Amino acid sequence: MKNLFEFIVEKAIFLSGAASIIFVVLIFIFLLKEGLALFGEVNFFAFLFGQNWYPISDPPQFGILPLIMGSVFVTFGAIVIAVPLGLAAAIYISEVAPHSIRGFLKSGIELLAAIPSIVLGFIGIIFLAPLLKNIFHLGSGLTALAGSIMLAFMALPTIVSIIEDAIVSVPRSYKEGALALGATHWQAIYRVTIPAAASGILAAVMLGIGRVVGETMAVLMITGNAAIMPTSLLQPVRTLTATVAAEMGEAVSGSSHYYSLFAIGIVLFIISFIINIFADIFLHRSKAMKRRKK
Amino acid sequence: MLKKVFSLFLVLSLPVFIFGCAGGGKAIQIKGSDTMVNLGQAWAEEFMKEYPAVPVAVTGGGSGTGIAALLSNSTDIAQCSRQIEPKEIALAKKKGINPKEFHVANDGIVVVVNPANKVNKLSTRQLSDIFNGKIKNWKEVGGKNEDIVVLSRERNSGTHVFFLEHVVKLGDKKSPNEFAPCVLMMPSSQAIVEEINGNTAAIGYFGLGYLTNKQKAVAVNGVLPSVKTVTLGQYPISRSLLFYTNDEPNEKVKSFIDFAMSKKGQEIVLKMDFVPIR
Amino acid sequence: MVKITVAGLSIWYDEQTAIKNLSLQVSEKEILGIIGPSNSGKTSFLRTLNRLNELTSNCKTEGEIQLDGKSIFKEIDLLSLRKLVGIVFALPLPLPLSIYDNIAYGPRLRGEKNKSKLDGIVEKSLKASYLFDEVKDRLNTSAFNLSGGQQQRLCISRTLANEPEIILYDEPCSGLDPISTAKVEEAMRDLKKNYTQILVTNNTKQAARVADRTAFFLMGELVEIGDTTKMFTSPSDKRTDDYIAGRFG
Repeated sequence: MKNLFEFIVEKAIFLSGAASIIFVVLIFIFLLKEGLALFGEVNFFAFLFGQNWYPISDPPQFGILPLIMGSVFVTFGAIVIAVPLGLAAAIYISEVAPHSIRGFLKSGIELLAAIPSIVLGFIGIIFLAPLLKNIFHLGSGLTALAGSIMLAFMALPTIVSIIEDAIVSVPRSYKEGALALGATHWQAIYRVTIPAAASGILAAVMLGIGRVVGETMAVLMITGNAAIMPTSLLQPVRTLTATVAAEMGEAVSGSSHYYSLFAIGIVLFIISFIINIFADIFLHRSKAMKRRKK
Repeated sequence: MLKKVFSLFLVLSLPVFIFGCAGGGKAIQIKGSDTMVNLGQAWAEEFMKEYPAVPVAVTGGGSGTGIAALLSNSTDIAQCSRQIEPKEIALAKKKGINPKEFHVANDGIVVVVNPANKVNKLSTRQLSDIFNGKIKNWKEVGGKNEDIVVLSRERNSGTHVFFLEHVVKLGDKKSPNEFAPCVLMMPSSQAIVEEINGNTAAIGYFGLGYLTNKQKAVAVNGVLPSVKTVTLGQYPISRSLLFYTNDEPNEKVKSFIDFAMSKKGQEIVLKMDFVPIR
Repeated sequence: MVKITVAGLSIWYDEQTAIKNLSLQVSEKEILGIIGPSNSGKTSFLRTLNRLNELTSNCKTEGEIQLDGKSIFKEIDLLSLRKLVGIVFALPLPLPLSIYDNIAYGPRLRGEKNKSKLDGIVEKSLKASYLFDEVKDRLNTSAFNLSGGQQQRLCISRTLANEPEIILYDEPCSGLDPISTAKVEEAMRDLKKNYTQILVTNNTKQAARVADRTAFFLMGELVEIGDTTKMFTSPSDKRTDDYIAGRFG
């Protein structure tokens, strides 16, 4: 009787684990099925590298290069803001802050993650866009920069959390060794602890990128959704995600516009996938380093 | 142990209760135009007062969304602030859907600027050139020397499609004019309202019902938009607000459409700042 | 010549007393061995000598320690103290750098940039710990590629590169095989010429081999201190005798 129970539990656990992988594969297959249908009507290179996105015109043009550039610019801007801030915050929390406020600070940053992205988008429209407009004398504050700033807030909790973990996992003995040799606290931190936590820091950056690339609501509200090839962060952009969100409702099932949005989905899936693989590699290396210490 | 089983049972049965209670009878589904969504809801509220046994659910998402829902059979009525396109009709026929049109109200599309902008009137040709990017600076149409910030609705909006055809393309479907790539695509008419309120260089468009005294409507071809000028056909950017159903609607849905087109329904149209059909 | 004077030293971690009222003296260029069972305060004492225990936030110290007559708490600043007093830990802890960079780390911290000077320091330090011949061809490879014994000697070299006057050892051979242990002990004997050394060890036999004088700590107190041979053959205190004979430990 016991053996039967063991057997059932084992199989149930196996099925649950297998189920998650199966779902991902099924989603990807569905994406592929609907997305690849586009390339029966549209040239693949015209899609990937075309600079004109006019999906409901006659004849329609499905060039997504401006959309890719839009996502790239917004993501890049967000990371440039969030990583130094996140690194500084993580170092402060793990190395400098007195024990008593450490927990309080960590909770505070995690609270940022609890803010729904649409609320951040709303704050962006009401406060940030007019502010940027005045500071930079722009026609409108709805720009890639507005998106980057708001997305940096979203990515910050992830980045701080992972970097802080990485720093705390660096064996205390490394820092002691440096201090015993006469390093000051800061010298020990930036010459020994940070390089030792490098893999973890890289993993945090990659996961931050992953978080930002997939963000939809906030960018839809504050980046202006103009499908231009951006040359600076102070211009409006249109991201891959916002395009799908804005146009999916209207695209009639079975039309080439419909397929093109799924094709964008494939592009997003691949980007996310690659980022996550790299993050995994870096996280792995950071764990291997811990194990190396005999 | 018994407690655990019981709480598990409660948790698992919760969804059943939630979904089971969603609606006394089957509700009339109305989906589509964001321009018309408030009007649709006002109609629904009054209708449900007279016919409490028939719930009505109204959602927005854009005229395109409404038609897409009609074609996938997930709505009874598609609200549209533009006509159904030949492409969409062809696709409907392929799916065995036969769209039937009802003209339920009229609307004017106002072109708005910030009250501080001294430009008061524009021709449709000028509007076409502003929105397709040929005219880039306000000084070219008699205003200050500053770059025009052009706002538009997203592609899923019927207002967008109507404006594209009748203003940007000047009524010629074969015209190569498009919205310029640098036009900011706002997710809703309310977003356009907000941006215009705060930006002296901005220009945008939305339905007559969204106009408040915080924005200034420009005269198009010399005519200012109002219920009168739209009804009389004087205001050049006017459109019909439509309902589409699949074939002849059933009794419940027909009674709703009749209500909307009745005297009471048209009073509501006026109250919501749209233009009655008579 | 007295090098270090400890007077009335007490150390607490929160409510726990690690060292009670300790007084002793360390002579110049001797090897002082410190033996005793676990938790007798040996390591706490050692880490107070270069104020490394201040890293532990709940550690409190009372009493006085003087180096060449100057108080290490009040008269010598922290960075100078850490140059004067080097430490070799129980587990070999090379920094995540190359062999060369590990040793050059201390001098570089002090601003030494001259490449030939650094080369000289690296070579001298490696020779002093009997490691030079084994690694001279791979100074730029990662320190992690060395064996345990080599890493430990690397740590000694690293400490030497700072030109300290005192070297502390906290159970330095606990993870090493007998051959590596012998090499480390040989290095220690050789270093007596120029350095004062204090060796904390759980291995009484090691103290017997290497230390000039030995101190026996038990539960935070100094029980007995004296010439090594005498302590091992005829200790004054019964507890010392019992510990060395292995009747408890």
